[in-house]
Amino acid sequence: MKNMMRPTRRSILRAGAASAAVLAMPAYLRAQSQSVKIGILQPVTGALAQDGDFGRMGAEMAIKEINDSGGLKGLGGAKLEMVFGDARSNPEAGTQEVEKMQADGVAAIVGGFASPICLAATQAAARYDLPYIVDVGVSDPIVQRGLKNTFRFAPGFGIVTGVALDNLVKLNDGAGKPAKTVVLVHEDGLFGSGLAKLMQTELPKRGFEILETIAHPTPARDMSNVALRIRSLSPDLVIPSSYYGEFVLLARTMQQQRIRPKGVYAVLNGAASNYRFVKEFPDAANGIMDCNHWYDPRNPKALELKKQVEAQGKVFAYNVPLNYSCVKLLADAINRAGSADRAKIIEALNTSTFKDHIMPYGETKFVNGQNMGAAPVNTQVQGNDIKVIFPDSFADAKPQFPVAG
Amino acid sequence: MTFRDIVPIIAVIALLAFVPVFVTANTVLNFLVFTLIIALTAQGWNILGGFGGQFSFGHAAFFGTGAYAAALLQVRLGINPWIAFAIGAMAGAAVGWMIGYLSFRSGLRGSYFALVTLAFAEVLRILANAATFTGGAAGVLIKLHVRPENFQFESRSAFFWIALALVGAVLVLTRWIERSRFGAQLVAVRENEAAAKALGVDTLRVKLGAITLSGAVTAAAGCLYAQYFLYVDANIAYGTWISVEAILAPIIGGLGTVFGPLVGAVALHGLGEVTKLAAGSVPGIDLMVFGVLLVVAVGFAPDGILGLLRRLRRSAQLSGAPRHA
Repeated sequence: MKNMMRPTRRSILRAGAASAAVLAMPAYLRAQSQSVKIGILQPVTGALAQDGDFGRMGAEMAIKEINDSGGLKGLGGAKLEMVFGDARSNPEAGTQEVEKMQADGVAAIVGGFASPICLAATQAAARYDLPYIVDVGVSDPIVQRGLKNTFRFAPGFGIVTGVALDNLVKLNDGAGKPAKTVVLVHEDGLFGSGLAKLMQTELPKRGFEILETIAHPTPARDMSNVALRIRSLSPDLVIPSSYYGEFVLLARTMQQQRIRPKGVYAVLNGAASNYRFVKEFPDAANGIMDCNHWYDPRNPKALELKKQVEAQGKVFAYNVPLNYSCVKLLADAINRAGSADRAKIIEALNTSTFKDHIMPYGETKFVNGQNMGAAPVNTQVQGNDIKVIFPDSFADAKPQFPVAG
Repeated sequence: MTFRDIVPIIAVIALLAFVPVFVTANTVLNFLVFTLIIALTAQGWNILGGFGGQFSFGHAAFFGTGAYAAALLQVRLGINPWIAFAIGAMAGAAVGWMIGYLSFRSGLRGSYFALVTLAFAEVLRILANAATFTGGAAGVLIKLHVRPENFQFESRSAFFWIALALVGAVLVLTRWIERSRFGAQLVAVRENEAAAKALGVDTLRVKLGAITLSGAVTAAAGCLYAQYFLYVDANIAYGTWISVEAILAPIIGGLGTVFGPLVGAVALHGLGEVTKLAAGSVPGIDLMVFGVLLVVAVGFAPDGILGLLRRLRRSAQLSGAPRHA
C-alpha cells in the first residue's frame, strides 16, 4: 500500500500533463462557445444590498433582451454571458471580484454602485486595460484621475448639483419667488456633507437665506429634534440630503407634527424619488421634489421595462434603467468594435454616440470618461406617483410649488 | 531570544515567500495581500489583547490613523510614500500611547477599557468625516502612479513580499516579546494585574509599552491598506469592520500566540473565499455557510486553531512517550 502511494517521477509528470490539459481546456471551450463574457459588479450583500439587487436586475434584463434578439450583431450573433460578482458593499471585495472577472476573461465590467467600490474597482481593472462602465458612483474623482479604461454613463456630483441649483432658481422664479429662507438637513457622509457645503456657498449667491444647517448621522433612529428645529425656524424650503431610512423618518415626523414648508427640495436623496416610499407613506411623500437619476418617462421602452419589473412585484428604482442602459451601451460598443478586444472596446466607447438608452439623456459623448450627455432630472411626488417636472423636454407633469398644505 | 526561537518564523515566511513564484494568478495574490494586511492588523491587536489581556474594541483608531497619515502626507504635503509609511506607523504609536495614557492612568480595565477604545475610534471616525483636511466624507484618493519609489508596483507579487516581510518582522517582534522580561511582565499583568503590581511590576509602563507597540503595528497595516487600495475614507479607515477583523483573527488563530493572528487571518479569509466559490452565483449563501463554520470552529476549538493543534499533539503524545519539559 505504502509503495503505491509514493509518487514517482513518472506519475508526477503524468499528473502535471493532465493538469495542464485541464487548465488549457476552458480557453479552448471559450473559443468554441461564441459568447462574450461581461462582468456585472454589484453589492448584493451588506449595507447596499437593496441597490445592488436593483442594479443586477437591470443588467440581467438588458443581457436577456440582447441575447433573445439575436445576440451581438457585430460579432455574428455571439451571445453575452454574464459573470456576476458580489462587491459585498466594500471596496476590498469589489477589487477581489475584478481580479476574478479578469481571470475569467471578461471583455468589460459594468456596475459598482457606491463611489468607494467604483474607485477601487476601476483602478483594479485599469491594471489590465479592462473597460469599466460605472453605473452610479457620483464621486467625481472616479473619472477625473485619468484612468483610460473608466467611463461613467450617469451624471456625477458636479453635474447633478449644478442642475439642482439651476432648477431650484427656475422653480422659485416661475412661482413668483415665494421661497426666500432655507434649512439644510444632511447626513454626515459623502452625499450629505459635500452637498451641504456646496449649498452653503451657492444658495446665498442665488438670493436664498440659509437659516440653519442641521447634520445627522446615518443611521439615525429619531428625527423629532430635527423636525422641532425646523418648526421653530419655519423656513420656506427644506433641502434634505439623506439616505432612505432617515429621510422617510424625517418626512413622516414632519407630517405628524404638521410642519409644512412651501416645499421640500431634495438632491440625490435616498427616498424622495423611490416608489417604495410613495407606496408606503403616500401622505408624507406627497409634494416632495428631488433632483436625481431617473428614467425617461416618455420612452416607451422604459415604460415597458417598468411594467415588467412591477409585474414581478419589485420596485422600479433608478438603478434598474441605469444598469440596463449601461449594458446596452457596452453591447453597442462591442458591436461597433467588431470584437471583444479590450483596446477596441475602449476606443469604441470613446467615440460612442449611443442613443438607444432609456435615460433622460441626450446622445452619449464621453469626455475624459464622463458622459457629457448625462443629466439628472427633477421629480415630484404627485398623486401617489413620481413625475418628472424638469427639464421640460422630458417632463410628464408641471411642478406644484408652493406645495398646497 | 535565541536563533532557535525564530527558526519556525523564518521557515514559514520563506515558504510563503515562494507562493508568487508558483501562483501567478492575481486573484490569489490579491486575496493574499489583503489577508496579510488583516494579519498585520491582528498581530498589532494580539500584542495588547493577546499578551497583555487588554481587549481593545477600537483598533480602527490605529489602523485609520496609519491609513490617513500615509495618504494625507503624500497627497497634501507631497512627502514620499515610503517616508509617509514610517511616519504613519509612528503616528499610530503616538495615538496608542495617548489612548493608553488616558485610559490606563484612570485605571480602566476589562469592558470599560474596551468601551473607551471603541469610543476613541468612533470619535476619530466622526472627526475624519467632518474635517476638510481629510477630504471629509469624500475621502482621500492617492494618485495612481505606478513606480517603486511611489510605493506602487506593477505586479501584485512585489506588494505581497512587502506585506509578508512586515508580517515576518512582527512575528519576530512578537517572539521577542514572548521571550523577554517585558513579555513576562505583560503576561503577568494579563493573568493578575494586582499580583503583578505587588511583585513590583510597573503595570502602567508595561501596558503603555504594549499599546504603543500595538498601535504602531496596526497603523503600519493601515498604511499598507491605503497604499494598496489608494483610497481611504472615514468608514474604511476608522470603521468598526477593521476593529472586528483585528479581534477575530487572533481569537480564531490562537490568543496570545506568535502565529495565532496569521493563522486566524488566513483561515478566516481563506474560508470566506472558499465558501464564496462553493456558493456559486447565489449571493449571501457563502456568508451563511461562513457563519455556521465559524460557530463550529469556535465551538470545537475554544483556544483557537493553534490551541486545537496543541491539544491534538498532546493527546497523541500521551499515548506515546512522556514529554520532555
